Amino acid sequence: MKLSNVRLILVREVCDQLRDRRTLFMIAVLPIVLYPLLGMSMLQVTQFMQERPTRVLVIGAERLPASPVLFQDKQFAHDLFAGGKSELLETYFAPDTGTPSRDNGLALVQAGTFEAALYFPRDFAARLEAFRKAIALKHPSVQPGEEVRLEVPNPEIIYNAADEKSQVTFARLSEVLRRWSDRIGEDNLKATGVSARAMRPFYVGAADVADVQSRSGALWSKILPVLMLLWALTGAFYPAIDLCAGEKERGTLETLLSSPAQRSEIVLGKLLTVMLFSILTAVLNLVSVGITGSMILARMSDMGMPPPVAIVALVIALVPIAALFSALCLALAAFAKSTREGQYYLMPLLLVTMPLVILPMSPGVELNLGNSLIPVTGLVLLLRNVLEGDYWLAVRYLPGVAVATSLACLMAIRWAVNQFNSESVLFRESERLDLGLWLRHLWRERPATPTAAMAVCCGVAILLLNFFASFSLPAPEGFAGFVRMAFVTQVAVIAVPVLLLTMFLTASPRQALSLNWPAWRTLPLAALLAVALHPAATELQSLVRYLYPVGDNVLPALERLQAMFREANVWALVFVIALVPAICEELAFRGFLLSGFRRLGKCRGILYSALFFGLTHGVLQQSLIASLLGVLLGYLAVQGRSILPGVVFHLCHNALLVINTRITSAMLPDWPQLRAWIIALPDGGCLFPLPVVVSGFLLAALVLIRFQKLGDDGQQANRVMESVVPGLPATLSSPCSSPGVGAS
Amino acid sequence: MIHVHELAKHYSDLRRGRFVALGGISFSARPGEIYGLLGPNGAGKTTALRILSTVLKPTGGTALINSCDVVKQPALVRQQIGFISANTAVYDRMTGWEMVEYFGRLHGIEREELRFRMESLFERLKMNDVRDVLGAKMSTGMKQKVSIARAMIHDPPVLIFDEATSGLDVLVARTVLNIVAMLRDQGKCVVFSTHIMREAEKLCDRVAVMYRGQFLTEGTLDELRERHGERDLEELFFQLVSQRDESALRLAS
Repeated sequence: MKLSNVRLILVREVCDQLRDRRTLFMIAVLPIVLYPLLGMSMLQVTQFMQERPTRVLVIGAERLPASPVLFQDKQFAHDLFAGGKSELLETYFAPDTGTPSRDNGLALVQAGTFEAALYFPRDFAARLEAFRKAIALKHPSVQPGEEVRLEVPNPEIIYNAADEKSQVTFARLSEVLRRWSDRIGEDNLKATGVSARAMRPFYVGAADVADVQSRSGALWSKILPVLMLLWALTGAFYPAIDLCAGEKERGTLETLLSSPAQRSEIVLGKLLTVMLFSILTAVLNLVSVGITGSMILARMSDMGMPPPVAIVALVIALVPIAALFSALCLALAAFAKSTREGQYYLMPLLLVTMPLVILPMSPGVELNLGNSLIPVTGLVLLLRNVLEGDYWLAVRYLPGVAVATSLACLMAIRWAVNQFNSESVLFRESERLDLGLWLRHLWRERPATPTAAMAVCCGVAILLLNFFASFSLPAPEGFAGFVRMAFVTQVAVIAVPVLLLTMFLTASPRQALSLNWPAWRTLPLAALLAVALHPAATELQSLVRYLYPVGDNVLPALERLQAMFREANVWALVFVIALVPAICEELAFRGFLLSGFRRLGKCRGILYSALFFGLTHGVLQQSLIASLLGVLLGYLAVQGRSILPGVVFHLCHNALLVINTRITSAMLPDWPQLRAWIIALPDGGCLFPLPVVVSGFLLAALVLIRFQKLGDDGQQANRVMESVVPGLPATLSSPCSSPGVGAS
Repeated sequence: MIHVHELAKHYSDLRRGRFVALGGISFSARPGEIYGLLGPNGAGKTTALRILSTVLKPTGGTALINSCDVVKQPALVRQQIGFISANTAVYDRMTGWEMVEYFGRLHGIEREELRFRMESLFERLKMNDVRDVLGAKMSTGMKQKVSIARAMIHDPPVLIFDEATSGLDVLVARTVLNIVAMLRDQGKCVVFSTHIMREAEKLCDRVAVMYRGQFLTEGTLDELRERHGERDLEELFFQLVSQRDESALRLAS
């Protein structure tokens, strides 16, 4: 790679972008104009919102007591308002407007004639007076320490929660009536000779330890990182579209590709350009929002600019973020055939990145080892801590965040480079979609085993069905309900779609689902592997639970489920948790999906099918473990050239987990010899001492080596077979089928 | 100068399944010669020329340009060719001068040398009036001239013109054809693809008739006329294509 060429391309692209008025507007004009305008209009809108009076219908005003006064001169008494602004509630009295009934009030508020109505029931004043007297005279029926039993009917505010103005009115009315009722209470106390302060002998004071700097830090830490990410993405997106899809559309990309510049030089030049604009856009926006924001804040409170260290941290963090977003945008933009098509990809890109940006904003999400490893999220959390002045915590998790971010960056850049090296991406023809033709084509030319695209479709279909099933199926009641639901989910969500897709999309269902008869030795070996790995699996579970603790909202449900399992029949549990998933999930993930993804190569095949396997498990903690297991199961399926070893492993692994929960420390006295091997917990479940975990692991490694050998032998046998029987499907016999077949 | 042997390109297509864009073509072209690829749209001309310019990779066969392999030494090949096609446009937001300068610099030409070459090239192609005009403001003819200058700036021994006259008016097309003839006279090896018979007749020293990714016939114009007993190139072309379609139909039934 020649750096001089990269520099040439970079300089040209930057000049080109700077000559484009749209780009200049996006990166320079918009941020400078946007925030002052936004700030100004926000100030105006809030003033406008606060000052607007609302209409209140008062029904039964004649039933009010003479003192304390609620209304003065046909308006709410002035001193019942905090700011004295009684004109904010325009009052209309029912006798003037029609029959004074409650139903009338309901109808009028419903129709929107009034924002709210205030209803005083019949005899309100009389009953209130009776109550006061009862207290004042120490009514004979009242024993010391006992409540007065006389009841005062409650006044009622009629409002419409679906209407914002009505809600505001409700809040204002409640406040006024609270003060008024406090005043009645004070009068009552006075009448009994008790000091008015008896009701509220003290007020709670508050001391805020946060100084101005940390308060403004907390405020800025919520705004700036998110704003930076958003603008880094937007700033990368539009230039990327222009630099790739735009060049394709205008025909200059082919000119560049036939020039001496290498693909890698072109990608790097373009990537640096996009990054530069991403950084520029984000910086200009941050500066603009910083200046406007601190001016507004200074007017409203004593807060000021964000601390200088935070600004430095933001700018440093911006570089990897810009690199990540630029590479993502570049890869997407390279795929798009025209700028118009490219712009459609903004939404999916936002849908993927937004949750990562929003997650750190949710209350209670803090920087810990687990969160620091999530790309984008970890970085935002780190920045938040720096802005809040918590540098020590930030430094502790910096390595994790750096590793996760650079990994994500590298992957995105690799994707972009791959896109530029792919002819089918660069010279993609725009095709008119004819559904009938397409379906006929699919049926007529269905391959023996699914393509990678079919595998993706199948995986996504399972994920979607799983999502909808989790909402539409009722929560199970009792163990029988749980068994039914788990069975239905496995069969309807996983097995049936896979079998249908196999029937319609592939010519050889047996090959597509890898339903071959493996070497018999693989089956006991798979069972042995599950047993050997069981101690490590339980350790892994505890580790994941420690890194990503189960949320408080899920915990009760999980505990209920575990309690149910302890009561249930162990065979029924093994059936529904081990046997059914072992068959259904293996058919789907090591059958259809792995056959499809294997066209991209052995490693990618295993990895992608494992990823979908993990995602299907829904809960993050389960997904992580399932993805790891998916890799192992994929390896077994590839080496054994069948899903059966995987079925056996899956069955044994899940069954052992079920049995593990049934072992309690109370059982151990019956088997004293087990004590050296397991640490049973009092309420079920057991852990394993480290030597057991390690030796299990070593045993598993030996079994895997054996599998490797079996697989290699099998391939040799296959090659011999191939030479004898030509036409044996290549996808099954070779470990790495050529990449790109059928991918375009 | 150019040696192409059994060059093939297949790809899989959603609609057509496995599609043969180029079914194994072979030809050679010498310096001081214009080699014409004649064929209708979709015959595979662009695919073949894109492979020669290393933009696409072949799925079979070999192609050598000045003894450099297009697959193994793409960077060397790109130094020896100038590629002009209907798809190689000029940048909208760059002037004619900047555009040619940019590609000259990418070819690694020194500044002084580049300036000298550009002055003489702009003079020769009579394009001093587009020096400071932005690509977006140029007429189609101006753009094509800039493209040609861009492809000639490093003085390559091989020039590839892919449908370079399509969409041009008669006057501009004539100018382009004159430039192509001039290049041949300078001893360059030129590959020229077109679907316009008159152009091929006027310009090419040797012609290959392409249809559905195959050569139907190949040779000098006189050889072709003699071989197929037809004076008129257009008639000859239709005759070959209909023969091919008939034999394909017979095979299918």
